[in-house]
Amino acid sequence: MNSFVVKALVLAGVLIVGTLVVIKQMHVDLSDPVNMITFLGAIAIAVLAFGVAAKYMGQMKTDTATGELAEENWDGIGEYKNELPAGWAYSFLGVMIWAIWYFLWGYPLNAYSQIGEYNQEVKNYNKKFEAIHKNASPEVLKEMGESIFLVQCAPCHGETGDGLSGKAQDFEHRMSKKQVLAVLKSGQHQLMYPLGAMPAGLASGQQAEEVAAYVAGGMKGKAPAAWATCAGCHGQDGTGNGGTAPNLKTYDVTLVQHVLKHGKTGIIGHMPAFPGRFTPVQEKALAAYLQTLKQ
Amino acid sequence: MFHWLEKNPFLFAVGVFVVIAFAGLVEILPSFTNAARPIKGLKPYTVLELAGKEVYKKDNCIACHSQLIRPFKAETDRYGKYSLSGEYAYDRPFLWGSKRTGPDLHRVGNYRTPDWHANHMWDPKSVVPASIMPAYKHQFKNLADLETAYAEAVTVKKVFNTPYGDDIQPSKAAFEKYYKEKALPEALKIAKAMKNKDVLAMVQQGKIPEIVALIAYLEHLK
Repeated sequence: MNSFVVKALVLAGVLIVGTLVVIKQMHVDLSDPVNMITFLGAIAIAVLAFGVAAKYMGQMKTDTATGELAEENWDGIGEYKNELPAGWAYSFLGVMIWAIWYFLWGYPLNAYSQIGEYNQEVKNYNKKFEAIHKNASPEVLKEMGESIFLVQCAPCHGETGDGLSGKAQDFEHRMSKKQVLAVLKSGQHQLMYPLGAMPAGLASGQQAEEVAAYVAGGMKGKAPAAWATCAGCHGQDGTGNGGTAPNLKTYDVTLVQHVLKHGKTGIIGHMPAFPGRFTPVQEKALAAYLQTLKQ
Repeated sequence: MFHWLEKNPFLFAVGVFVVIAFAGLVEILPSFTNAARPIKGLKPYTVLELAGKEVYKKDNCIACHSQLIRPFKAETDRYGKYSLSGEYAYDRPFLWGSKRTGPDLHRVGNYRTPDWHANHMWDPKSVVPASIMPAYKHQFKNLADLETAYAEAVTVKKVFNTPYGDDIQPSKAAFEKYYKEKALPEALKIAKAMKNKDVLAMVQQGKIPEIVALIAYLEHLK
């Protein structure tokens, strides 16, 4: 072993010790396979780089060029007709075969796709999200609902959900008297609930006024006589008969889902539909948050 | 083995060119031709929308708003489906933008309404209290340039074969007919949804302010 090799290996050793010090200082976790592979790679690079450099630098001192000269020369500078070192030759051959495969088969037929990567990202995320929040607590749902609300709903409904003084639905109340009267007059089937369309003119005049006041007041006290007609679909307590008709009391999950899916046009204006924008957990969270806004 | 190749530099250069050109042929051309076609169901802008696009350019919305949703979950969660290049087939020029001081607008037609835009352009803080966007009140007074927009439609129909109907013809009479029969009713629909009395009165008198054209354009972005 000549002195070059010894010096190179000492240098590589110093580099490895330095790497170890850094690992210790930065508390790198070597049980993580990525960190371990990186560390082993660093050792391999240090040893190989210095080892190979030392070997050839040593060889340069004693080696002399031999072999048969090629016919052509350039201003007296010639070239030996020696064979390529076997390692190089096989590497070249390997790359050529790979290149032909990649040109004709690998790229055109099995190309990387940005959209494919996106789909994978969304799939993985949703799987993880659903698993974490399968049994989310009410506090978590409320917090999640609030953040969704602030980004997606607040521009129209206002940051406090008050509907920006009549520009959109006011989430502090379920329905105003005017809204109930308008629906009673024109009927309703935009939300596609299972119980079907509500016909126009189910109540009118004094009866309609009474029902509207009762619904707008949060269904407190004694129900007016005409409420029996409404209760047939919306339930005696007005909560929508277990999700088969709109809930008239609070913004429950089925109501949020139906409005997001179909959009809604009422006397205030038009709300576009948001189909597929939220996951079921997020819809639950939105409903949970909307219910906390109610006074 | 390859000495013969080294002795013929021209032949060698041709070989290198063929190899690289093949790679380009395989990797660039197919996806390029595919992506440049309009996606199925894409409609060209109406003249009113084109006039709105001019307002969008003139008032420099592109300085703060992008129109390109990248395929990342964080973006599609907020703005909707990622953008496809075929969706810009009738955009000349496209208005991708490169800075988002405000949000992306490529799908704004899906989740905003004309009355929201009207409130927002008149006074952004009235709907988004933390907004730093300036008000664009002049758009409620200035008239949109439908004539230039019509000329643009005539041009792209002729030069790029954009699929417009027979109502787009290179004559002054054709424009006036189009304005009365197509553009005004379209503008009236927007103006009614905007719930702004002054704007509605203007459109009913046959004048189309910039804000109506701009909202028509924003409603097209879906």
